[in-house]
Amino acid sequence: MRNISLIVKRVWKSALVFAALSVLTVSATQAQDVVEGRKLFKENCSSCHQLTSNSTGPALTAKLNELDEAFAIKWIRNWKALVDAGDKQAIEATKFSPAEMSFFPRLTDVQIKSIIAYAKAGEPKKKEEAGAAATATDDGVSDFSVAGIIAIILLSIVVLVVLGRAIKMLERLILQKQGVVIVEDEAVSFAVGIKGLFKNKKFVFFFILCLAISLGSFGWMGMWNTGVHTGYQPVQPIKFSHELHAGVNQIDCQYCHAGAFKSKNATIPSSNVCMNCHKSVQATEKYDGQISPEIQKIYNALGYDPATQTYDKSKEKPVEWIRVHNLPDFAYFNHSQHVVVGEAAIRKEKGLKPNEPVCFACHGPVDTMPEIYQYSPLTMKWCINCHKDTKLEVKGNAYYDKIIETHERIKKGEKITPAALGGIECGKCHY
Amino acid sequence: MESNKRYWKGLEEYKNTPDFVENSKNEFAEPLPIEDVLNEAGLSTVTPRRDFLKALGFGLGAVTLAACQTAPVHKSIPYLIKPEEVVPGIPNYYVSSYNGQSVLVKTREGRPIKIEPNPNAGAFNTGTDAQTQASVLDLYDVSKLKGPLLKDSAGALSDSNWAAIDQFVKAELTKAQASGKKIRIVSSSINSPSTIAVVADFIVAYPATKHVQYDAISYTGIIKANENSFGKPVVPKYNFDKADLVVSFGADFLGTWISGEEFTAQYVSNRDYKSLKSGKMSRHFQFETGMSLTGTNADTRVPIKLSEEGPALIALYNAITGAGLAGGSLPANVTADKALKLVGKELLQNKGKALVVSGSNDVSTQILVNAINSAIGSYGTTIDLDNPNKRYSGNDAEFAELTNEMNRGEVAAVLFLDSNPVYDVANTKAFTDGLAKVGLKISFSDRKDETSTLCDVVAINHNYLESWGDASAYEGNYSIVQPTINPVFNSRQAEESLLNWSNGPVKEYYQYVRNNWESKILPVLGKTWVDVLQTGVFAGTPKAAGTYTFGLSLAAVIPSIINNSKALAKEGQIELQVYQSVAMRDGKHANNAFLQELPDPVSKVTWDNYIALAPKFADKLGYKEFDIVSVKDDKGYTIDLPVLIQPGQAQGTASIALGYGRTKVGKAGDNVGKNAYPFVSFTNGTYKYATTVSLTATGGRDELAQTQTHHSFEGRNIIREATFTEYKKNPSAGSGNEHGKHKSYDLWDKYEKPGNNWVMAIDLNACTGCGSCIVACNVENNIPVVGKDEVRRRREMHWIRIDRYYSFNVEGEGHAAEGEHGTGINAVTKEKEIAHLDNLDNVSVVHQPMLCQHCDHAPCETVCPVLATVHSSDGLNHMAYNRCVGTRYCANNCPYKVRRFNWFNYWNDSRFDNYLNNEFTQLVLNPDVTTRSRGVMEKCSMCIQRIQGGKLKAKIEKRPLKDGDIKMACQEACSANAIIFGDGNDPNSEVSKALRSERIYYVLEEINVQPGVGYMTKIRNTDTTVQA
Repeated sequence: MRNISLIVKRVWKSALVFAALSVLTVSATQAQDVVEGRKLFKENCSSCHQLTSNSTGPALTAKLNELDEAFAIKWIRNWKALVDAGDKQAIEATKFSPAEMSFFPRLTDVQIKSIIAYAKAGEPKKKEEAGAAATATDDGVSDFSVAGIIAIILLSIVVLVVLGRAIKMLERLILQKQGVVIVEDEAVSFAVGIKGLFKNKKFVFFFILCLAISLGSFGWMGMWNTGVHTGYQPVQPIKFSHELHAGVNQIDCQYCHAGAFKSKNATIPSSNVCMNCHKSVQATEKYDGQISPEIQKIYNALGYDPATQTYDKSKEKPVEWIRVHNLPDFAYFNHSQHVVVGEAAIRKEKGLKPNEPVCFACHGPVDTMPEIYQYSPLTMKWCINCHKDTKLEVKGNAYYDKIIETHERIKKGEKITPAALGGIECGKCHY
Repeated sequence: MESNKRYWKGLEEYKNTPDFVENSKNEFAEPLPIEDVLNEAGLSTVTPRRDFLKALGFGLGAVTLAACQTAPVHKSIPYLIKPEEVVPGIPNYYVSSYNGQSVLVKTREGRPIKIEPNPNAGAFNTGTDAQTQASVLDLYDVSKLKGPLLKDSAGALSDSNWAAIDQFVKAELTKAQASGKKIRIVSSSINSPSTIAVVADFIVAYPATKHVQYDAISYTGIIKANENSFGKPVVPKYNFDKADLVVSFGADFLGTWISGEEFTAQYVSNRDYKSLKSGKMSRHFQFETGMSLTGTNADTRVPIKLSEEGPALIALYNAITGAGLAGGSLPANVTADKALKLVGKELLQNKGKALVVSGSNDVSTQILVNAINSAIGSYGTTIDLDNPNKRYSGNDAEFAELTNEMNRGEVAAVLFLDSNPVYDVANTKAFTDGLAKVGLKISFSDRKDETSTLCDVVAINHNYLESWGDASAYEGNYSIVQPTINPVFNSRQAEESLLNWSNGPVKEYYQYVRNNWESKILPVLGKTWVDVLQTGVFAGTPKAAGTYTFGLSLAAVIPSIINNSKALAKEGQIELQVYQSVAMRDGKHANNAFLQELPDPVSKVTWDNYIALAPKFADKLGYKEFDIVSVKDDKGYTIDLPVLIQPGQAQGTASIALGYGRTKVGKAGDNVGKNAYPFVSFTNGTYKYATTVSLTATGGRDELAQTQTHHSFEGRNIIREATFTEYKKNPSAGSGNEHGKHKSYDLWDKYEKPGNNWVMAIDLNACTGCGSCIVACNVENNIPVVGKDEVRRRREMHWIRIDRYYSFNVEGEGHAAEGEHGTGINAVTKEKEIAHLDNLDNVSVVHQPMLCQHCDHAPCETVCPVLATVHSSDGLNHMAYNRCVGTRYCANNCPYKVRRFNWFNYWNDSRFDNYLNNEFTQLVLNPDVTTRSRGVMEKCSMCIQRIQGGKLKAKIEKRPLKDGDIKMACQEACSANAIIFGDGNDPNSEVSKALRSERIYYVLEEINVQPGVGYMTKIRNTDTTVQA
């Protein structure tokens, strides 16, 4: 239902936007400046600046409105030159923050002007209004459409039933006219038929056999899959999308899961890691100038106030993620063992492409998961099979030199797998 | 396999009493209720069918319902702001120090979980004792206070805050200062330079203050004696490593005397396998009353009464110097008399390489010891007065005077820093009476203990793992104490409280310590503060040890010694020795469950103190083991304690351990044992740990929780030993290796160990039996404490235990003619002669650490029906807990009895409320080791988490494993280096070398289980080089 309402919502929204656009009279050239400026702004400025609020740099709409455009262009291109030249306004401006702004010598005057135009105009207003209109009618529309569909279905069922009755009546009438007497004994004969069926030994045997087979296979499958949670996808407190972060934005796994290459724990990133980007990335453009409610959750966890850019320790409340990959306490698993020592071997065995991180071997195509789910069964059989099949890449790791020497003398030509080196012995994972 | 000696673990086993024979056949301490179930009544009951079906139906239903439960949702809560140095899953190590021992504190995700010796400490790296290993548990003690307390208007201690306390204390101190009365800071010995400076600052702010130091176990006798003899009021530095001959009179220097772990390392360096290889072994005589840890390790131990110690020293002095001092005779103790003559001669032969120590706290006795040491040239070699030991500097007389001052009403304020006199002072009543007359009483204790409950303010102190600080165990040597966790409760470091109250310029103690180091200590050492935080310990260049000659007259000293000994030898009275037990020491850490369950090295008693009596003497008095007797001294103090029959205890004497009988220490330690401090007496300016008592039977009986007779070895040949002379002739003497091996046949396939082969060697000559490895193993492997009742049922969980075996060491009948073992007091008795002997006074002892032997042909593996215990390709016997169903077949089939069964969920069962039964204390658990559930077998895993960790580190760094990369927890803790672990496939590894020693034998090798742990024969230097 949610999906249907979403589709309907989107259709309505675009229709409204179209209508609004056609009604509003906006200079085409000005719009072009703003669009170009928006693009440039996103590329060059948005990591430190926001339009309406202070970030690493000041809020740009207000700031540029009060500044002389010629000064602004010079400042953006090379503010240091202005300061060095002793420009008082520039020296005053450096006092905003100790963080030094980058230089943009390659931006042309026209480009800078576009940025300024965009910054002064703010995020396109018309879209906001249209959006507001859309959201205002959003709920009514979706409810209405759902109710409509249900009504249509109900109506058609009623029509079908009525038509069916009508046909039956007509048939009867025809039969009566032809003088056929109608005996109404269908229900009785049906019951007798069922009884007769149960007296049939062959049928009963067949029935019980089917029942036993289906229950047995159901039980068998159930037991095999007890405690196996492949596909487990709990609702997380923050709708974090790996598709967006690891897929679209191509952020390396280790940027957030920094422990994976050092420790047994891959580690869920602490909120301060999120803040490295999300101090400025607030996805306001998708939420009508408001901070994304999901990003806001990071701020809430840290007690961070984006307006004043201050942290309030008393409001701290850690994010309680739901653990997706659960190993029992008695099984020891070490990430670094697999992604550092075993990386080459695992890549080869699992046929990973060079651009795919080794993590995909077990965690699946994380870069396409909007919400993370358990990709592998994480059963002991799954572990053991991999330890039996994977050929170790021992070259270049001096640790194996001594082990291999002894080993190869005994097992000439055999495939060296983790299992061959004791990797499937109980105590290697259970202690 | 020659069986040269007979060993026994307990008297029952030695005497082969019918009870023992019967019991040793039983697996369980208590009879199983088989009879009740299988008797006629049980079998002929009428209800079975319906009940059976009901139970079946219910069980099926319950199991189905339980299986329907959805998998639990686990939350994963990351840091909000992750500290830069923390990587979850990887431990961090910080240097610190505990009791002057430099240690490494292992922390995981910010919580300390293990204490290890500091490998950077050089000469300071002497292992850690059981107390240090257990100290991490004190941090997570739930019996601690959560915030400071202040006396409210009703006079009761109630929760308060630091501001209110500061305001109250400052006002009261100012009042006290103005009143013209005295202010006293009472503490145990302090060697921390910064704390001393803080106290000095406090004295500047409140000039009426005096700092009184006293120790529950006092060494004032030695300090005063050295002041008297050489003008140096210090405890000297003893160099046991430079002594070829050690003679001790009641000093338990390997255990509790001054700094046991350091002395162990020094002492063992002259006796371990490396020293023996070079053909050198020291000799050690011990004259003592109770059987101490040191006594069990002596080559020759001679039991003497307390009253004989003085005369023995006089006799020795006479023997060495040829002086004819009166009183130097031991008419009642022929053995000791003979031994002393021998010792005298040997000391003269080893001039400059010998050391005589005495455990007495009597000034006169210690002066006489000084005279003896001077005569044998110990000063400048084995005794160093110029780089003294600063661990103990208490002054008994000053403390006794404090009690008088308080009783006279002269004291306006008293502050108790790291001291608990209401518990450990000899005369409790005088002290508490005096305390009641003091206006302001402040305690820095972390709990409502015996003293702090009587105070007005309890300004709770940090645990040392939360503190900044420093220590100086020796003159010129410094170590740092740094915090490894934020304070858990609302506590404040005592030094910071003092700084606050004295209104100095620096109020933060971290800054104070740093200033102190940067201005006074670091310039001398030429180091920086960062160096300190990394290395933890610094030794200045030691001063040259001067030679000192004792030049005073003994005229005044001798009568005092003789009087003391006469006072102890009262007709009809029993001489009582009160001593520190190795586990409990002075009782400060009585709430530490690891220490309570650490078996006494000699008696193997846990969770209690007792009165130790010699077998013959107990017989004479008519007491049997575990009879409760009432012990009464002449001041009228009476306690009821169970009797422990202790072979080797001197006749006519009794021994009781101090440190027990705490009443206000916490859950684990309250009312465990009885307090023996009131038996201590104050005479001639020092505290004396000897008195006379009378015993009366109470008729009660209380079985002590011993681990001693749990496992009988059925007289098998598991301890092998030789004398040093035999060893020199033939290094494999006594090991059973000299005749070559039998041809053996295997039922099992040979295990291939192509990679590593983890093996261990244990040097029985180095192991002193101190038990620090047991506690280290407990902490590392999350081994639960089971409590007194469960130990009585033989259910203690220790993965490593130290078996103690007695054997005879007496002049056997018909022995004189046998040249092989010499004659006289040092003769070793052959098993065939034991039948003729009945002198249980004179026993010798061997300590044998026993842990899973990781047999190649492990009997436990073949009987496991579910393959929960299997062999690995690197020589280990694995135990998969999640696979174990608890049949206990493996434990039955283990010849070494090292498998332990979890009868309960000890960490989550209100019946075992010793320590782990709460979330706070569970923070001490090692996250790399599974906590075992009820119904599961467990045993030594050879610290497999460390092996796997070490291998992974090498793999990540792309280098081969080096010998010494991986260390076992027990090995690391051992001061004596008795445990050597490593890869047996590496011919150059330390352990391979050790296992190639001629002394190596395998316990029960005749049953061909092919153990992975080799033991080196015990060598005793008992041959008389000088004929008595």
